[in-house]
Amino acid sequence: MKITPRPTPSKEICLANVYVWEWPVRITHWLNAMAIWVLSVTGLYMGHPFLVAPGEASEHFIMGWAKLIHFYAAIVFTLSVLTRIVWMFTGNKYSSWDKFIPFRRIRSKGLWPTIKYYLFAMRLPPGFVGHNPLAGATYALLFVAFLVQICTGLAMYAASASVDSPVRFMAALLPLFGGLATAHLVHHVIMWFIWMFFVHHVYSAILMSQVEPTATLESIFSGHKFVPREDLIFSGYRFIDRETHKGG
Amino acid sequence: MSESWFIEELERRGVSRRDFLGFCGVMTSVLALPRSAGAQIAEAIETKEKPTLVWLEFQDCAGNTESFLRASRPTVADIVLDTISVDYHETIMAAAGHQAEAALAGVVEGKPGAYIAVVEGSIPTGENGAYCTIGGRSAQDIAREVCGGAAATIAIGTCAAFGGLPAAAPNPTGALSVADAVPGVKNLINLPACPANVENLVGVIVYYLTFNRFPKADRYKRPLFAYGKSIHDNCERRAHFDAGQYVEKWGDEGHRTGYCLYKMGCKGPVSYQNCPNIRWNEGTNWPIGCGHPCIGCAEPDFWDKMTPFYSHLPSFPGFGLHANVDRVGVWATAGVAAAFAAHGFVQLGKRWMYAKADESAAAKGAKAATEKKGEES
Ligand code: HEM
Ligand code: HEM
Ligand code: SF4
Ligand code: SF4
Repeated sequence: MKITPRPTPSKEICLANVYVWEWPVRITHWLNAMAIWVLSVTGLYMGHPFLVAPGEASEHFIMGWAKLIHFYAAIVFTLSVLTRIVWMFTGNKYSSWDKFIPFRRIRSKGLWPTIKYYLFAMRLPPGFVGHNPLAGATYALLFVAFLVQICTGLAMYAASASVDSPVRFMAALLPLFGGLATAHLVHHVIMWFIWMFFVHHVYSAILMSQVEPTATLESIFSGHKFVPREDLIFSGYRFIDRETHKGG
Repeated sequence: MSESWFIEELERRGVSRRDFLGFCGVMTSVLALPRSAGAQIAEAIETKEKPTLVWLEFQDCAGNTESFLRASRPTVADIVLDTISVDYHETIMAAAGHQAEAALAGVVEGKPGAYIAVVEGSIPTGENGAYCTIGGRSAQDIAREVCGGAAATIAIGTCAAFGGLPAAAPNPTGALSVADAVPGVKNLINLPACPANVENLVGVIVYYLTFNRFPKADRYKRPLFAYGKSIHDNCERRAHFDAGQYVEKWGDEGHRTGYCLYKMGCKGPVSYQNCPNIRWNEGTNWPIGCGHPCIGCAEPDFWDKMTPFYSHLPSFPGFGLHANVDRVGVWATAGVAAAFAAHGFVQLGKRWMYAKADESAAAKGAKAATEKKGEES
């Protein structure tokens, strides 16, 4: 296929309006983001209870509330993550599972140019309509972390749940995490992994919205991206350096 | 008739039959059995033949033996323990040397499949077992023979149940638990704790006498009646935990008031045993009751996984003994943020360079265009 040269993006390029993130993607995104805040604040209180209540024990329930809120937020988070995973198989092509694991040729070839862009070796990132392959791969790691967090959480919960709790069987996972005490440690490690992702994620979202003409940042609210027609012609998978027009 | 010896024994020691029945009632509740089981237990203790018991000590501190002997006023439990004929126990038997060996061989060969083996201490396997030998034989060799031929094996104390202190990293002697050192050992029950509480040993033996099998156990082969609930769920300081009232320093106001020991590293939330209910030394008190956090002594690998004892979480591996995971996490996240901030600055610089280059390219292009225009005209 012959690739015609094109100038660096400017107001003049022709943009197409594409509905990329359907409502379940957007809703689960913001539910996860909010739940992670709530879970981290209540979780950190459980790990380091810095407030000490005065007077009689019967007048207070600080740790009790922290745990209760943590567990309800955990239910929201777990259902939201599971919904997003189901949507990987039922949603549109941009939300599909194969956008997370770069095993298709077109995506694995786009991985290196994206990394080169981050290392300042290319002026502009390759133009993918949905996630770029590098972002997709970090989301895949993130979802693995989510699942580990859910499993350690449910296993810890199951370890002291009442006999009729429907999640009691999850305690069987505890040996996998080296026992109950180390499950707590793993739960903390994953929490910090998620916060490291968060820093990277918000930075990249802002960065990409600066250099891509697609309204990346707005897309997670509106669902729409504004994609150069040329990117669409190559069925959304283009990884030519827009500057040099070199690439595969 | 066999009924009489037990009654006689009770009378000889001045224990009334009423006390005995009371004991059977306590046992049914310790073992979490229905009330009606009390009569069954009483009948079993009175009429069943004494089981023969051999007690093996390997890499241990004899703490469980101390617990077993507990020199206090005789109770019904003592008599029950006395009814067991302990045919071999190095620490308490009169015989020594070849005589002792002969006693052990007498049980193993004379009553195959009819005796109970109790193992105290871990079993070293490094250097072909040279770290612990008795009569020239390695501990593993002896354990395989004795436990292999037993009707049932009780691994008493954390060392026998999970390897305990000798097996803590770096495990210089290659110490193993009974389950690992004697693969395929049948009818094994673990009674971990440092040391095991004698009430739970009595409970297991009474249960075995009554029903000819061990009580239901968890995935670590610990009997559920004793290890089925966490310390935290039965702790008398739990109200302070839920309220948010914690000891912050040894001897502070909260410590003197009896606040929760969570922030002093209490492992009650991750440890399972019935200490809060049966307590220690005949119900006198227990560690948390006298102001010390639980150290999780009945959990697998507790020396490695419950340490540091006085902090809530295990230390983060690779960052020293007292590395708190949240401190490491805050710094790592700050590091990531710094890296991306640096990336942002380079990005801004690059953008400025590109803008400059574009500008000069545009200027060149404009110049060339005007020149061309001039030539044309
Ligand atoms: C991003 C999600 C989550 C974060 C950041 C998070 C964070 C935390 C933190 C920091 C702790 C304190 C652990 C300690 O010091 O002992 C904790 C405890 C806990 N979390 Fe989570 N958590 C998350 C999700 C979940 C989920 C999905 C569950 C599922 C039920 C869960 C259940 C628990 C339980 C049972 C505890 C132990 C409470 C206790 O010690 O009594 N968490 N969490
Ligand atoms: C802890 C909080 C957050 C988590 C775990 C998270 C996670 C994710 C994930 C997994 C995706 C992929 C969407 C999907 O396919 O489901 C995504 C996309 C996105 N997120 Fe977040 N997010 C968080 C917070 C934020 C925030 C605060 C912003 C805004 C500044 C943001 C902006 C975006 C944008 C713009 C996209 C679309 C990126 C693309 O086109 O690939 N996110 N996020
Ligand atoms: S003292 Fe320990 S076991 Fe008791 S409530 Fe506090 S944390 Fe739980
Ligand atoms: S309170 Fe904890 S450390 Fe103490 S004996 Fe009981 S289980 Fe062991």
